[in-house]
Amino acid sequence: MTSQATFLSYRPLLYAWIMRTIRARYKQSLLGGLWAIVQPAVATLIFSLVFTYFVPIDTDGIPYIVFSYAAMAPWTFFTTALTDMVESLVINMNLVSKIYFPREILPIAALLARSLDFGIASLLLLMLMIYFGVQVELSALLFLPAVIAIQLALALGLGFIGAALNVFYRDVKHIIALVIQVWLYATPIIYPASAVPSWLRPYYYLNPMTGIIESYRDILLRQQGPGPYLLVSLVSASAFLVIGYWFFKRVEFQFADVV
Amino acid sequence: MASSIKFDQITKRYRIGQWLPSLREALNSGNGQTGDSFHTAVDNVSFALEPGEALGVIGPNGAGKTTILKLLAGVTHPTDGTIAINGRFSALIELGAGFHPDLTGRENIFLNGTILGLQRSEIQQRYDQIVDFAGISAFLDTPVKRYSSGMYARLGFSIAAHVDPDVLLVDEVLAVGDYAFQQKCYAHMDMLRRQHGTSLIFVSHNMEAVRRVCDRGLVMYRGKNIFQGRAGEAVIAYSDAVRQAARVTQMEVPKEGGMAERVMTFDAEIGQVALHNQAGDPITVVQSGERVRVAVDICFHKDVQQPIFSFTIRTIDGRIIYDTTTRWRQLETPNFRAGEKCRIDYDLDLPLLEGEFELGVDVIATDFSHYYDRLERAMSFWVQGGNGAQGLVDLRVAIAIQKVAR
Repeated sequence: MTSQATFLSYRPLLYAWIMRTIRARYKQSLLGGLWAIVQPAVATLIFSLVFTYFVPIDTDGIPYIVFSYAAMAPWTFFTTALTDMVESLVINMNLVSKIYFPREILPIAALLARSLDFGIASLLLLMLMIYFGVQVELSALLFLPAVIAIQLALALGLGFIGAALNVFYRDVKHIIALVIQVWLYATPIIYPASAVPSWLRPYYYLNPMTGIIESYRDILLRQQGPGPYLLVSLVSASAFLVIGYWFFKRVEFQFADVV
Repeated sequence: MASSIKFDQITKRYRIGQWLPSLREALNSGNGQTGDSFHTAVDNVSFALEPGEALGVIGPNGAGKTTILKLLAGVTHPTDGTIAINGRFSALIELGAGFHPDLTGRENIFLNGTILGLQRSEIQQRYDQIVDFAGISAFLDTPVKRYSSGMYARLGFSIAAHVDPDVLLVDEVLAVGDYAFQQKCYAHMDMLRRQHGTSLIFVSHNMEAVRRVCDRGLVMYRGKNIFQGRAGEAVIAYSDAVRQAARVTQMEVPKEGGMAERVMTFDAEIGQVALHNQAGDPITVVQSGERVRVAVDICFHKDVQQPIFSFTIRTIDGRIIYDTTTRWRQLETPNFRAGEKCRIDYDLDLPLLEGEFELGVDVIATDFSHYYDRLERAMSFWVQGGNGAQGLVDLRVAIAIQKVAR
């Protein structure tokens, strides 16, 4: 059996594991799926308060609340998924050390289970856009799946590396939390990319999330296709995905012994 | 026919202690691990299993039994050697390992089934059987966290057993179920072997279960395979190994997961065990129905209060024909002081049929808490005669035939 055939035959498990993760997350919870909205919404509200009333910031005429929520929703998806993926193997060590199945199922399921949250959070974005009368250019909208795919690839690549390393060193979990905190400010989420000093911009766009977040805004708020920065994101996301998967498979055989 | 399992010169070493690998080490393929900081859990073990065969793996805790299962299940990888498994396998290393406590029984059946490699439609087909076998139909919509441990185990076994595997790996998991459910499981395993040609690897501390389920046995001791052969003989080899180890190290034999502690303290030691005929001559061949005497010499190394003496006759595949203790017979035994010796004579008839039998003797603490010494195979003897009947016991059947007028 080739590894691909094995993985394909485990597709029902991937699906079942995603469902399990989602069901378990909202069992015995009153708000259930609404929690997917609360987190990005509260963050957006706080920043809206700060950057509308305390330190007003220029967002090219887009109401700040839509401006930041359009970035906060995918960003929350990215970071919660990354966190879940990094812990996916260690949390399920009981399973990893007792039953064989392709281990990549766990981080992949962690990512895809969060995509439901992203979908729910996007509903609020849609409502905000309608409320503020944001126009949408249909031809630009065609790029949306590509942007989402690039974001998924980036999360997956980083998640593979993080999940595998976390098996060996539990520090990774804490490092990721720290990185996410810093990364928020290194990405144009609560402020526009135009606020970045011009000398810093070439480096700033090396951050793959910069291109992804800017592309979301281009497509959803600025009625235009993504700028060339999306190519930077595409290249680095692909590289992370390939390297991440390679690394994961390379150390996979040791998981059960180390975990 | 190709073997369904081939376990070829497998060695598995684990690193000991707190170990943080360097990135280079993590990426290293991991072979050729040597040195002091490794523990050899499985040391050059080989076996092969044909379809429909059942192999019992026995040994004390830490002997490498579970590691063998994990290696077979592909959970962990051998340091050295190759493993080949033909066909679909299902492993019960821990019942319900994939259960999510918050999900219901129904949800967990589908989840666990997919973990074991079934397609959704296959689970659908087997669903009623699984529920029926586990006997939990009233609790399908209850989260499994509210299940009793017995229900949990029953459901776990039921799912794994209905995968219709070509190879079924069962770890010490049935201990939690009740007696009736255990019997049902054994019967199900027999059925899988007969009808589906499933090969079974069965790890257990329960020697009777190993004899019941398996035709072959493999005894592991400290990572080494010290015996491989018929299941009944393996059980005896195991008890001998444990006794030897206890004698050499004078240490406690590892406790077997909540089961009776089989510790031999050697406060009393069994010396010679001999079988005598009526004339008082030592013999090893007995005529069926002959009255014989079993003489057991015991010497006491410490003061011992009212020990219990036991005496067992088994067939060579380990089935108990007769087992008694002085306690069951409500015989008072004296106190013994260190240095004293005693002789116990058991006078008995042997109405057995032709074959080889084994005699075992034990000296047990007065509260049955541990053994002072036990010899499961103190000696073996042959029985001859028996008027050509087959079986174990000569029931001295009188046969009368007469024509009856119509």
